[in-house]
Amino acid sequence: MKNKNRPLSPHLSIYKPQITSILSISHRISGVFQSLGLLIIIILLLSLLLGENYHKYYMSFIESYLGKLFIFFYIFSLSYHMFNGIRHILWDLGFGFEMKNVYYSGYTIIFLTLILGTFLLIN
Amino acid sequence: MVELLLPKNSKVKNGKNFKSKGNNKNRKKFLIYRYDPDSNDNPRVDNYDLDISNSGPMVLDALISIKNKLDPTLTFRRSCREGVCGSCAMNIDGTNTLACTKYISDVKGPIKVYPLPHMPVIKDLVPDLKGIYKQYNSIEPWLKTKTANNEDRERIQSPKDREDLDGLYECIMCFCCSTSCPSYWWNGDKYLGPAVLLQAWRWIADSRDEASEERLEKLQDSFKLYRCHTIMNCTKTCPKGLNPAKAISNIKKKILARN
Repeated sequence: MKNKNRPLSPHLSIYKPQITSILSISHRISGVFQSLGLLIIIILLLSLLLGENYHKYYMSFIESYLGKLFIFFYIFSLSYHMFNGIRHILWDLGFGFEMKNVYYSGYTIIFLTLILGTFLLIN
Repeated sequence: MVELLLPKNSKVKNGKNFKSKGNNKNRKKFLIYRYDPDSNDNPRVDNYDLDISNSGPMVLDALISIKNKLDPTLTFRRSCREGVCGSCAMNIDGTNTLACTKYISDVKGPIKVYPLPHMPVIKDLVPDLKGIYKQYNSIEPWLKTKTANNEDRERIQSPKDREDLDGLYECIMCFCCSTSCPSYWWNGDKYLGPAVLLQAWRWIADSRDEASEERLEKLQDSFKLYRCHTIMNCTKTCPKGLNPAKAISNIKKKILARN
């Protein structure tokens, strides 16, 4: 064979997105987002420590559109990560591996995330 | 390592168009990945407009029609044409399956056909499976015993113990599952992948095998086994309806119970 430098077949770009893989990558992303959210909470505590002016700066960020968007994603990723975490614990215990149950639990956590996220957002 | 984009020599280009004569009502378009190892060109996607009125109902039938009528250079593996050999495993309409058991009518619009994802391509739809066979070999997929053989009979197994192998022995090693797994895409050099792990479990679960301890010991590795993150693409795509994710979970549980 002349050409030993074999090409790699396409993967991510051609594989159909489905509940299984989408919920899995969302779990990672929501996890990363929570680390960022933790940073925001730490900065809140720091601003409280540093005095009124710093806290005002902080609140002006939180009340800006960017801040609100951030809080919005933080709350939903928190809810999602928690429910999907429970799903993962059940898998680790050996439950819910039939494809039907994977879809059932997947849709259930999406539903619960929407409810809890909206509830937290309103309060 | 995670590399989301394809290397330079693997980027797919637009290819040629082919059209069959005949009945214009009953046609189907096939977009098929092509790679010619004898040229220095990148892979391309050729467009085949096929009259399917005289072809069988499966995607494999259409591929054979294309090879016979439109383009004899199209290359793919096939053998049994009834889902027991695993040769014609490929990515059809975005998911991995066997071309011989996938109905043409199940896909709306043009049918995209690619080789199994994230594999070195030998030619067209033929992936290089050497690496994955090596991994299969590494789990020593044969009966290992310590007690002496009984000379006048085979090693026996109760019907109940035999039932433990249901859902495992049916695997035809087509590797649809392993090549559907994002974790295997990124870490396929070290992670064994669902197909090989299902086989590993098949021998651990076998009541006649006497090497479970050693097998589990070898698997207890953050890459070989624990790159499984329960994504479940494997179970979703298995053309034989098996459950590799469940098998991997069984190995994890067994290792946990042993420690």
